[in-house]
Order: sequence, then C-alpha cells, then structure tokens
Amino acid sequence: MNTSLSPNSAQNRTSFKIMIDSVHALLMRELKTRFGTSKLGYFWAIAEPVAQAAVLGLIFTLLGRHSVNNIPIALFIFTGLLPFKLFSKLLPQLSVGISANKALFAYRQVAPIDPIITRLLIELTTYVITYIFIMLCLGWLGFNVIPEQLLPLFAANALLVLLSIGLGISLCSAVQYWADTPKVLAMVLSPLFYLSGVFYSATMIPPQYWFLLEWNPIFHLIELSRDAYFKEYITPIGNWQYVFNCALVAVVLGLSLYRINRFKFVSQ
Amino acid sequence: MIELANFSKSFPTKQGRKYVFKDVNIILPMDKSIGVLGPNGVGKSTLIRMLGGADYATKGKIISPLKISWPLGLQGGLQGSMSGRENVRFVARIHGFSNTKVVEDKVEAFAEIGLYFDEPVKSYSSGMKARVAFGLTMAFDFNFDVLLIDELSAVGDANFRIKSEKILFEKFKQTKVIMVNHSLGELKKYCQAGLLIKDQRLFYFDSLNQAIEQYETDYVKKH
Repeated sequence: MNTSLSPNSAQNRTSFKIMIDSVHALLMRELKTRFGTSKLGYFWAIAEPVAQAAVLGLIFTLLGRHSVNNIPIALFIFTGLLPFKLFSKLLPQLSVGISANKALFAYRQVAPIDPIITRLLIELTTYVITYIFIMLCLGWLGFNVIPEQLLPLFAANALLVLLSIGLGISLCSAVQYWADTPKVLAMVLSPLFYLSGVFYSATMIPPQYWFLLEWNPIFHLIELSRDAYFKEYITPIGNWQYVFNCALVAVVLGLSLYRINRFKFVSQ
Repeated sequence: MIELANFSKSFPTKQGRKYVFKDVNIILPMDKSIGVLGPNGVGKSTLIRMLGGADYATKGKIISPLKISWPLGLQGGLQGSMSGRENVRFVARIHGFSNTKVVEDKVEAFAEIGLYFDEPVKSYSSGMKARVAFGLTMAFDFNFDVLLIDELSAVGDANFRIKSEKILFEKFKQTKVIMVNHSLGELKKYCQAGLLIKDQRLFYFDSLNQAIEQYETDYVKKH
C-alpha cells in the first residue's frame, strides 16, 4: 500500500478530530440529499421566505397599511418571519436527525450528536445567508436596513438558537419512544405562526389581551429583535429574563434526555 | 487481545427483560481467527455488533488495544438511500481520509457492479451489497487488526467468492477475523479457534474442531 493512500494520521486522531471528520461526512451527505436533488436546490431556501413575506405584504397593502410604527411593511415582516422560519425549520429537522441516520451509527466514529450538529450548521448557515441577502436586496431598493443595535439583535438570535437546540434534542428522545412525534410537532407549529407576532407587534394588540401571547418565548424573541432592529419600535412586552430562562430549561432538558437515551439512540 | 469484563447485554421484551449475555468474563487472545458458533437467535450477530461498536453493552465493558472493523454484514454498514459511491465516500471520510477519490476507484474496481455503483444501495441485490461492503474493507487498507464478518461470504457468485477468498487469505498475515457463518465448511476455511455461545455465556476453544464438537453435543440433535 503506498503512502498517499494512508489516512492523514488517521491512526491517532483525537476525539475532537474524529467528530469533525464525521460531521464533515454527514454534512456532505445531507447537503446532497437536501439541495442536490433539484436543479434550483439552494435557491428555494431563499425564495420560500421571500414568497411568504410577499403574500403577507400584499395583504397589508390591500388593507391600506404601508407602515407599522413608521417601519416599512417589508422590513417589519422580514424581521419577524425569518426568525420564526428558523425555529419552525430547525425543530422538525433536529427532531428526526437521529432517527434518520440510525443506520450510520453502525460505524463507531459516528455519534448521535453528530447529525444534530450537522443539521444545525446547515440551517444556521442558510438562515444567516438568507437574512443578509434579503436585507441587502431591501437596502438596494432604498430601505434603511441598518439595524439600530447589533448586540441585542445577536443576543435574541443566539437565544432563539439555544431554545431550538434544547427543544430539538428533547424531541429526538421523544421520537425514540413515540414515532408519531413529528406529526404532533407539525400540528403545534402551524398555529404558533399566528401566535408569534410574525405579522403584528404587541403595540397593535390591546394590553388586556397580552396574556394570550405572553407565555410564548418566540413572541418575546421577535419583539426583542424588532426592538433591537428599529429605533422607532420599543417593545412593551419583550422580556430578556423570561426568554433566557426558557432557553436554559430547554437546553438542560435536551442534554439530560440525550444523556439518558444515548444508548437507545444507537441500538436498533 | 479483546477482553470482555463483567459483560451483560439484555433487551426489554414483552415477556420481560431477556438476557443475551450475562456476566461474561473472557479474554479472546486474537492470535488466531475465531469462528463464532451457536444456533439462530442465540446472540451471534449481537456479539459481532457490540465488538464493532455498533451497539453498547447493558453492563460491563469490552476492552481492547486493537483496531477492530465495523461489523461487516448484510444488515448494517451500508445506508439504503445513498449510492454505493456515496457510502464509500462516507466511510472514507469518517475514517479521516481527505482524498476519497482513490478509495472510490478502488472499491468500484473491486465490486465490479458497473453503473449500479451510482444507484441507491436499496436497489441492490444482496450479492451486490456484499460486493460493495466487502470491497470497502478489502480493496482499501484501513489497517484493521480484527475484521468482524457476519454471514457475508455466504452470498455472491463463484467469481466474487474466489476473489474475496484470495484477498482474505492475503490479509491474514496481519489481520485476524471474528466470523459468524452457518456453514461449518466456511468457518473451517478461515478460522482456527472457536467461540461457542451457550447459556448466555461465551466459551473460547483454542481449536475450532473442539468447539465444533462441543457445539454438536450441546445443540445438534442426534437422529
């Protein structure tokens, strides 16, 4: 066997290097199955939220509104729609991430957390690219797209991701016990779209009805990120402490369930 | 050397917890290739899967300084929705090879399944699957000390058998196998030592013929 064929120090890889290698392998595989089947592939990842925002924008325009709190409709919708899309795509993706890759755990290098990390990477990259691309387009069209405060905007997004990871891994465990979990998840996610302030803000709702939405951390996050994005908007509801607590509970729950079920994930 | 220390494996069933192995303490020297003996359902494949890291012990440990392959067999290893080539790429990548093209070419040449190499594995016949699975470990050198083979050589046509036999014997200079096969003739061809599964325990025999004798007195009914 000539040396060019031998693995790059594969004999003595660290655990971390093995993890990187197996995430890389999973990444190539997932990208191919997800975006490689259709000719337009990755284009749809961007086109889908744009089309959805266009429909919502059209409804607003037909109703005769061109701005919310002096924020242009398009910007207002995108700042709510994009984070919600991230959440509602990450959860189903993560929840079946482990069960969909079960056959690959026959190789000891592949750990159940690897497909979770892989799918997270794909969705997050798509989210960031879509977000920036759409904002650049709107900027080109003449909107003022520069966020007012970057740090809180990042913080809100980071909390959203943590919340999704925690819930996603918890759902992975749920799928192990009950195969119909993804169906229930889909049923919960569709009404959540209307309860999360994607196309409205707290200031448009009379305060006595706020209690209907106040439990929803996604609503808080969208409120907080709009607060950060626009200097015209100040959220009356958004509560950092509450969202942080939700994310913390979700992550602790997810990691605990992962630990408890780590053998169950692998065996068939 | 492979050591099984306080090793137990059980599955929950509707009739309660069923033990496949219970409190096994054994050392497999691995200076000879081992044939695993036992009737259907006694835990031969489970043992192979656990040696290969595809499943975990309920209690206890498997300790070994050796490089052990993944379980080569018909059930595991290849993912149905991926093509043969994608499977090969995947395995090469998780083993740390950055240039997968070389591996692909080698396996493709060994498997000789033509254009099917780029079709999903679920469309393969069992013989074609065996060709790719076998090609993956054989045509390419992962430098394993121990190969785990579960009923693999039972399939495949004469041509493939001759080819894989030749390669297996070549590898035997550095690589030992742990093999499950219901054909005693096949076992005798490759293995010198035997491992009998009985009463949720493992019994190692230095000579395969002894193991087969014991297997026949324990399990094979006299007519």
